[in-house]
Amino acid sequence: MPALNARLTAVAAGLFVGLLASPGPAAAQDLKIGVVNPYSGPMALYGDEMTRGYDIAVDQANAKGGVLGRKITVVRASATSAQEAIAAVEQLTGRDKVDLLSGTYVTAISNAASEAALNNGKLYWETNALSKDLTDRGLPNFARSGPDSTAFARRSVEGVLQLVIPKLGKDPKSVKVWIEHEDSSFGTSIATEQERLLKQAGIQVGMGAHSARSVDLSDSILRAKNAAPDIWLSTAYVTDHNLLLRTIREQGFKPAAKMLVGTGDTFETLEAVGKEALNGVLLVSYPRADVGEAYGPGAAAFLAAYKAKYNRDPIAPQAMSAYVGMKILLEAVTDAKSTGYEAVIAAAAKMDKPFGTYETGYGVKFDATMQNGRALPLIAQWQDGQVRAVFPKEALAPGVTLLDLAGK
Amino acid sequence: MTDLANVIAVGILLGGIYALVSVGLNLIFGVIRIVNFAQGEFVMLGMYGTYAVYNLLHLDPYVAVLLVLPVLFVVGAVIQRLILAPLRTEPSMQIFATFGLLMLLENVVLAVTRGTAYSVPSPLAEVSVAILGAQIGLVRLLALVAATVVAVALGVFLKRSMLGRAIRAVAQDRNAARLVGIDVDRIYMLTFGIGTALAGLAGCLLTPIYSLSPQIGTNFILPAFAVVVLGGLGSVLGAYVGGFIVGLTESFAGYYLDPALKHAVLFAVFIAVLIVRPSGLLGQVGAEEVGLRGE
Repeated sequence: MPALNARLTAVAAGLFVGLLASPGPAAAQDLKIGVVNPYSGPMALYGDEMTRGYDIAVDQANAKGGVLGRKITVVRASATSAQEAIAAVEQLTGRDKVDLLSGTYVTAISNAASEAALNNGKLYWETNALSKDLTDRGLPNFARSGPDSTAFARRSVEGVLQLVIPKLGKDPKSVKVWIEHEDSSFGTSIATEQERLLKQAGIQVGMGAHSARSVDLSDSILRAKNAAPDIWLSTAYVTDHNLLLRTIREQGFKPAAKMLVGTGDTFETLEAVGKEALNGVLLVSYPRADVGEAYGPGAAAFLAAYKAKYNRDPIAPQAMSAYVGMKILLEAVTDAKSTGYEAVIAAAAKMDKPFGTYETGYGVKFDATMQNGRALPLIAQWQDGQVRAVFPKEALAPGVTLLDLAGK
Repeated sequence: MTDLANVIAVGILLGGIYALVSVGLNLIFGVIRIVNFAQGEFVMLGMYGTYAVYNLLHLDPYVAVLLVLPVLFVVGAVIQRLILAPLRTEPSMQIFATFGLLMLLENVVLAVTRGTAYSVPSPLAEVSVAILGAQIGLVRLLALVAATVVAVALGVFLKRSMLGRAIRAVAQDRNAARLVGIDVDRIYMLTFGIGTALAGLAGCLLTPIYSLSPQIGTNFILPAFAVVVLGGLGSVLGAYVGGFIVGLTESFAGYYLDPALKHAVLFAVFIAVLIVRPSGLLGQVGAEEVGLRGE
């Protein structure tokens, strides 16, 4: 008898747990977006930050009734490498039954995850990964709403030609630029395009590559210093940018202007180098939440929503780009009236919104490779410990001006 | 000429950093005869310990040494006792255990910090002086001085103190050492603790130079292996001299060839030295069998 009681109790407990675990009728209707990002490891800071942007966009959409009459939920899966990305997509599509997928902080993860998504018949909507190769593959389930590496290279060269050289008051033909880059595809792809564009503009160019894992970058700085450039233009990750900037100070290397591409715009660099040494340094980065409203309408409201939800300022500008990417995706899904990748890609391809439509200043016009041609980074400057947008001029917030490039 | 002076200065200063990181590695190898893959992680722990001390007590990294060093000594001694000692009859398993330790420590720190690159400011990091045409950062100079002091002090300690002699005795012949009454297990524990504390010292002194990341230890460990192999396995002096060989090789290759090629050049030299002189430039032939030299 006690054995029977125990068995009945176990069955009842099992049923109870089963009831708790099974999705209710409302949950079954949810539109699930699987998000692949590094949520552990060295890139987790930015994987988390991007997902905060997604969450805010989804909260706002849900407050308006969701999409296609369904409440949206974000389902996270962590991937720190290509192999993990494939497993993450298998888990999201197999176990979590997501309707579509989005990401990603890292190109290699996006590359593998989007192919795995195609194998599972799902859309992969890229908001942040940079490499041009991602769209050049021509995957039928893939689109990128944010800028690619080419856009970063072009914006940095625009900054050199239209912002820095006029500020230096020099003849462009006499200006020397040193391009420093970390030697993976991220840095190399941007640096190669920068070199091409600068040479096309008749600028003298020197170039150096370094490993982001190197424990000493004095040789890179000595080579740059020896070339005596007017402008030092660098693409690197956070820790090697910090080491480069410290070594610049140590070696007494004083180019008239320094411009950092991709990183160098967060508290991590401010802590490492200090606001005095950073003053005047230019940054090519995702649009930040403090851009002027004329450039990025609603950026202030995004900042307020971020602060309300997370009780602090954004850690990095990637969040707002991810937020806008998610908004564009939800609009495309609405237009498509479906989450199937063929329908969403077709609907996205028809979107035509001018620059300045979204908080980041982005518009929407996808090219044949499904790269959004109206998504551009902007140029900011370290000003007394704060990062301020300084180019293009429409992006400037009221009261912000370009400081002396040497930080004086 | 200024270029050459700068390249030599950069190489020597980098050599000081490598020597500082490698002395403990070579001590552990010389006495316990294990290749400690986790040595770079102990440097990383030293850095994060310095960050913690700075954050909690607002102490400069050079003062934090006083707290971080003893803690790392205890960490090393405990790791030796709990993880390595049970594997003493399986030397190759000890090596795998240190590799496991590398992954464990790196991933625990990753989980705690979520990859944020922390930095510890020090007013000394902003000081740089021109000497004979070369620009020299004060914190790098201090690391070089510390590496020299550590190498000399360790050499004297091993030669002159009772404990140092006991360590050398164990390094030379653990069975004979046991026969004359030396507690070999205790010596292993103390040696691993000292080696770990030296890595912690390196971590403290290097904190003003680098942004902290959980992977920074692995960035150090490969050049550190090159240092001990080039300088001489099991030789304190070898670790010191090896540091400069590696530092200067990297500096010359990075400046005159290509910074992206400097590790390729370094490891080409590494392989060449291994083939020509397997015991390293200052190592004793058969050091992998004989163990530590305290010269």
